[in-house]
Amino acid sequence: MAEITDEDKTKQKIVIDVGDGAAIPSKEDVGLFTAWRVSFVGAVAIVAYLAIFNPDPYWEILKFLPDGILVTFQVTIAAIILALVIGLFTGLGRISKNRILNGIASLYVEIIRGIPLLVQLFYIYFALGRIVNVPAMASAIIAMSVCYGAYMGEIFRAGIESISKGQMEAARSLGMTSAQAMRHVILPQAIKTILPPIGNEFVALLKDSSLVSILAVSDLLRRGREFAAASFNYFETYTMVALVYLIITLFLSKLISIMENRVGVDK
Amino acid sequence: MVEMRDVYKYFGQLKALDNVSLDVHDGEKMVLIGPSGSGKSTLLRSINQLEKIDHGHIVVDGIDISDPETNINKVREEIGMVFQSFNVFPHKTVLENVNLAQVVVRKRSKKEASEISRELLNKVGIIEKVNEYPEKLSGGQQQRVAIARALAMKPKIMLFDEPTSALDPEMIGEVLDVMIKLAKEGITMIVVTHEMGFAREVADSVIFMDYGAIIEEGTPEHFFKNPIQERTKIFLNQIL
Repeated sequence: MAEITDEDKTKQKIVIDVGDGAAIPSKEDVGLFTAWRVSFVGAVAIVAYLAIFNPDPYWEILKFLPDGILVTFQVTIAAIILALVIGLFTGLGRISKNRILNGIASLYVEIIRGIPLLVQLFYIYFALGRIVNVPAMASAIIAMSVCYGAYMGEIFRAGIESISKGQMEAARSLGMTSAQAMRHVILPQAIKTILPPIGNEFVALLKDSSLVSILAVSDLLRRGREFAAASFNYFETYTMVALVYLIITLFLSKLISIMENRVGVDK
Repeated sequence: MVEMRDVYKYFGQLKALDNVSLDVHDGEKMVLIGPSGSGKSTLLRSINQLEKIDHGHIVVDGIDISDPETNINKVREEIGMVFQSFNVFPHKTVLENVNLAQVVVRKRSKKEASEISRELLNKVGIIEKVNEYPEKLSGGQQQRVAIARALAMKPKIMLFDEPTSALDPEMIGEVLDVMIKLAKEGITMIVVTHEMGFAREVADSVIFMDYGAIIEEGTPEHFFKNPIQERTKIFLNQIL
């Protein structure tokens, strides 16, 4: 997952920033920009070629997948929205001077980041399923957002801490409460720093959402599995599934980078 | 207007404020001078509780701000503060900078706030920049926006924390002019500054601090003609 700053800023100055979302192309980065083009155009061309010249089974597979794509998007979008909300409060908790709030937020981040997402999914669906019956789709969304909320929390914390202390002091000395200062002064400025890593998380979440196929959620990957199991066309099916994931993540990366340019993110 | 009694403030082992007591009367202009690290900024920042004191009492406009029951936000509404580093809000235009707290804190309508803002921006001589963002402004212009922003709350007292120290020399004058204009209108002011010309012209009283303590206080004439304390003499000799 994308780590944007180090825990201990004073000790480590060099931050190796390797996001695990698809590389988001920026205009200055000529090599990546062309790599993006090659893979995007290539993937679309291969899918089109296979579907047109090899309709059986490729066109059949392609027709079977859209329901899954829809579910993948539903899980991703619901989870990212929840994760943003959780992340905001976690980030605020992590910078809070209130020891209890700070403790809860820090504990949450430590625990969640220490457990693999797949295990969390199993845990919420199967282990908690013995106590309360949570539908598969809901537990998928809860698990994804609880997991990503922890990472979002760290992004929000770093973003808020990147705004100079004087801004908060100026707002407070005008009589604003800390909540008003946060809302009107700090967060609107922090959003510029926060947006790129959130974009990364969004793409990463979309890819990780394929894990929910182990629950009874018919996402893109599970639809592929269903098709493959019925037709025994494993190679063909998973080729298509992989290509569709690739096209979606590349497309989203591009969309996010356009959005960032609009907002004027300074990198 | 401001009353400080037996105030102590520590930063770890360091005594930032050492048994400070002072009175600022209604309408008084007080200038704080002293070497860097002498505690003058800490003293100023403790008046609106940007720094919490460890011991003693501070009463502002009849309200004891060292009392934990006091709603500090209410007190801060009455205290305008101007910082060395301006701290204008970079994501808001000049007009929005001055409007924000009026709307959020004073609950004025946007229209009412804008009228007050324009009047003040006119007063600080920056009305033609209302719709610019701060990054397009010089330091002196940003500081004048910050002054207008503080004045828009109609404060009873204004605190200035080295308002010209971060400015290029040619911009110091424009900010001091605004401050002198304000002083003549009779608002209570406490100013931390190295501008002795300003102190001479505007101050009713001058306080010299060193090592967190008040070493000497008096009128500007007293200070510049015959200071008593040895440390005051040395300091004034260095900067005049």
